[in-house]
Amino acid sequence: MPLTNLKCNKCLPERGDHIYIHDAQNPVIPACNIKTLPGDMTERGCAFAGARGVIGGPIVDTIDMVHAPVGCAWYTWGTRRHLSDLYPYVAPGQLANSSFNRRFCVVTDMKEENVVFGGVKKLKESCFESIRLFPEAKAVIIYTTCTTGLIGDDVQAVARQVEKETGIPVFTAESPGCSGVSQSKGHHDFNIQFYRQIRALRERRPELAMQEEEKTPYDVCLIGEYNMDWDLRMIRPLLERLGLRIVSVFTGNERIENLIKMPDVKMNIVHCQRSAEYIADMVKDGYDIPFIRASFFGIEQTSMALRKAAARFGLEEKAEEIIAEETARIEDALDFYRRKLSGKKVAIYVGGPRLWHWIKPMEELGMEVIMGACTFAHDDDYEKINERHKGGMLVIDAPNEFEIEEAIMDLKPDLFLTGLKEKYLIRKMGIPTVNSHSYEKGPYAGFAGFINFARDIYQGIYAPVWKFQDGIAAPGRLAQGGEEK
Amino acid sequence: MSDILPERISIEGYTHKDMTVEKVPASCEFRPRDPHLVPAANRSVVVNPSRTCMPLGAIWAVMGLNRAIPFVQGAQGCTTYVRYTFARIFREPGSVATASFHEDAAVFGGRRNVVDGLRNLVVRYWPSVIGVVTTCSSEIIGDDMENFIKAAKKKLREEIGDERADGIEIVLINTPSFVGSQVEGYNRAAQSFVGSISRKTGKPSGKVNIIPGMIYPGDIREIKYILREMGIEPTVLFDISDTLDAPLHPPKSLPYYPAGGTTIEEIRGMGDATATFAIQTSAGEAGARLLEKKCGVQYLPGPMPVGVAHTDAFVTAVAQATGREIPRSVIDDRGRLVDTMADTLHYTMMGKVAVFGDPDTVIGLTRFVCELGMTPVAVMTGTGTKTFEDNINAILEEYRDIFVEEPKVFNNGDLFEFEEYLRGVKKLNLIIGHSKGVDIAAECGVPLIRAGFPIYDRFGYQKKSIVGYRGSELLLYEIVNTIMGHHYPAAQLEQ
Repeated sequence: MPLTNLKCNKCLPERGDHIYIHDAQNPVIPACNIKTLPGDMTERGCAFAGARGVIGGPIVDTIDMVHAPVGCAWYTWGTRRHLSDLYPYVAPGQLANSSFNRRFCVVTDMKEENVVFGGVKKLKESCFESIRLFPEAKAVIIYTTCTTGLIGDDVQAVARQVEKETGIPVFTAESPGCSGVSQSKGHHDFNIQFYRQIRALRERRPELAMQEEEKTPYDVCLIGEYNMDWDLRMIRPLLERLGLRIVSVFTGNERIENLIKMPDVKMNIVHCQRSAEYIADMVKDGYDIPFIRASFFGIEQTSMALRKAAARFGLEEKAEEIIAEETARIEDALDFYRRKLSGKKVAIYVGGPRLWHWIKPMEELGMEVIMGACTFAHDDDYEKINERHKGGMLVIDAPNEFEIEEAIMDLKPDLFLTGLKEKYLIRKMGIPTVNSHSYEKGPYAGFAGFINFARDIYQGIYAPVWKFQDGIAAPGRLAQGGEEK
Repeated sequence: MSDILPERISIEGYTHKDMTVEKVPASCEFRPRDPHLVPAANRSVVVNPSRTCMPLGAIWAVMGLNRAIPFVQGAQGCTTYVRYTFARIFREPGSVATASFHEDAAVFGGRRNVVDGLRNLVVRYWPSVIGVVTTCSSEIIGDDMENFIKAAKKKLREEIGDERADGIEIVLINTPSFVGSQVEGYNRAAQSFVGSISRKTGKPSGKVNIIPGMIYPGDIREIKYILREMGIEPTVLFDISDTLDAPLHPPKSLPYYPAGGTTIEEIRGMGDATATFAIQTSAGEAGARLLEKKCGVQYLPGPMPVGVAHTDAFVTAVAQATGREIPRSVIDDRGRLVDTMADTLHYTMMGKVAVFGDPDTVIGLTRFVCELGMTPVAVMTGTGTKTFEDNINAILEEYRDIFVEEPKVFNNGDLFEFEEYLRGVKKLNLIIGHSKGVDIAAECGVPLIRAGFPIYDRFGYQKKSIVGYRGSELLLYEIVNTIMGHHYPAAQLEQ
């Protein structure tokens, strides 16, 4: 039976349903996308984090109105590395130090009296004031949170009124933190609500859709790409050289006017298939626009993505030309890193899709994935993981910190790919890490980005620091340093 | 926008240094922000807050206890975002458990989350202490937390026996996020722990209690150093100096707990101490006052010992409360700080500085920059307090005759009004505050000296100290070196 459990869970047998050793002949799907056990040391975030932090945050020209006490807004201010090129002016001829989507944090700052008497008035005033304060913003997105969801403020009514009085589109993303299993629920909420709202907006204001004469046969949207550390600078040119026109990116470095045009393209390319396939599905059902799934991590997968996209438009030859050129460009560097990294064992702990995005690229570097864990993966993510791995990998769904510690002790990987919160724990255990959410020094996507990824992995593994971790090599009792406090 | 990639990508890769990201203006031209809406007092909306929510302060406090785990009765974001913040600041592991609060809890109450959650936590981690921290959601639905914890303890006794269950201290901290800020969250944690654990045996211990507030490991070490030089053993509640600055020694057993932190015995013993100092009054006063009422331990409020006068006040108060002399070594530390102030005065005198952050940090920093002869042209705290303005005005009154400009004080302000004000200040030399001020400083063309909560965009600030004579001297070096580096040509610095 591939399902298994860890020693630390001896009083929690239910965790055994979430943990398995992958067997290619007998693949299993673990219990997943179910509520975290109370008392868990989880890495999971909340639905609000998924909506505001992951999907809404990268949109560059909106006021992100967080209708909440101050904390929810403060924690999502300038934290994720979803970069943008759109900057507000701060003085005549001087642009700000940070892009518009990271420069300002806007919150209704709910207080006790607002909780008791309702926060609608405060929200309405806040929207009007923000529109006056930030005339460069092209739309407002109102996010609800636990507090405003629980007290039941009618934010849609506020959105309608503010839009009517100002003419500025006002969207709502109702995704309180306590709704759903993880941040994945927030991705889903945002996708559904945003799709419905742009659809209604296009009906109300047809002039916002792309006009027929502007359309080309090569129009596409890139969906589920958030421009972490300028990944788009690696991905976009590849597709453009192929001859495609990227009308809109959902949502990395994107303007709201382009997002409204999402249903006007010929095909969608879905990168993160966990957080954004929902909207691709809805666009397909509602507007009969097909989508393809793609991964832009690693040489093989990026090549495959280009071939798949090209095939839809009869651009196969061009795709091969680009792949040959780009592969040649990185050949030497890639060889160097293959020599250095071949045979190393790697563990990966990420949100969901990156585990299966990264199994192949790690193999391309000659490394073996011996352990994988996901924060919020669903059944289809585990199917993809199982398809891509030859077997023998320990897989943990929504791990507790202790489970990670135990797996490291037992498996002793040479490298751990994980996020900011876990990486310091793993380093304390003497294992190098690479930040897999916001990257160390990205971008990591595309051909050239893959060299950055390989470089950061190499730096982690080959840093001299690790040889000092066992303390002073003095004889006998000299270097014991006494008892630990 | 498309990059022209080199023909061959070297092993160094292709990163930001190689890219030129051209900034695209978000509007055709600059338009001043609506002046009526710039002052925070004139609007409902808060823009760029300089404070976050109460649970963070309470969780910070619990992280300073030995083998302790905070348990957050709220949605997963309430733990994850706080852990994320700590990871950014301390670059250390920070274990926080979630109650995994979902819709069902919101409808039926969070009893099961507490009862099962504490059980699940204990049977894997065997902590010595659990700090149960509430949030918006559990406070809004009105969870009866005291009863839930009683039920959880009952369940634990049944499963693991009375002795082991009673050996784990479970302390409740009520922190609805729509009240106060992280500062008050810490304050309430101090009150909760002192209230539920400290005892008076009637046998004085001769120790001194320190409630440090939200200062860094380096600051706590400096406070301990001063007391030890005076021959006093301090009890620091909550002592993050080891737990959030741990060495890399791969653990031999699991789960990983950092060494150090205040023990339950130490908190219990606080009732027999000579006096309690709240280094940051607004983040510790509630605990210190309760201890005075409950056990008769004298409470001595701040001020946070930054600079000469505040540190003088602190060491004098310690000496008076304990009957100990101020030792030569500490007086020499003071002398070295004063010596450095004399050496650096031509670079600091008449300089214009803006200070922002949490109230006690700002009060300490403001007095110190005044002692350096600088003018604090703008002073802002995001966490408003009743006494902030009085405290700041008293300092300003004392030094007004050497100011080059009338200072402006913002109590309960936000960083948006603060930055808009600073844009109008001519020849500003320096901004002192936390990492949320990076953009403001860059846009004003003025260096930022990092101090206070949070600092996440540089290494090592959590290990530095800005308190005591020695910490102040190190801060002064940073101030003066920054001024020299930024405002003076090399030729003027040669002698």
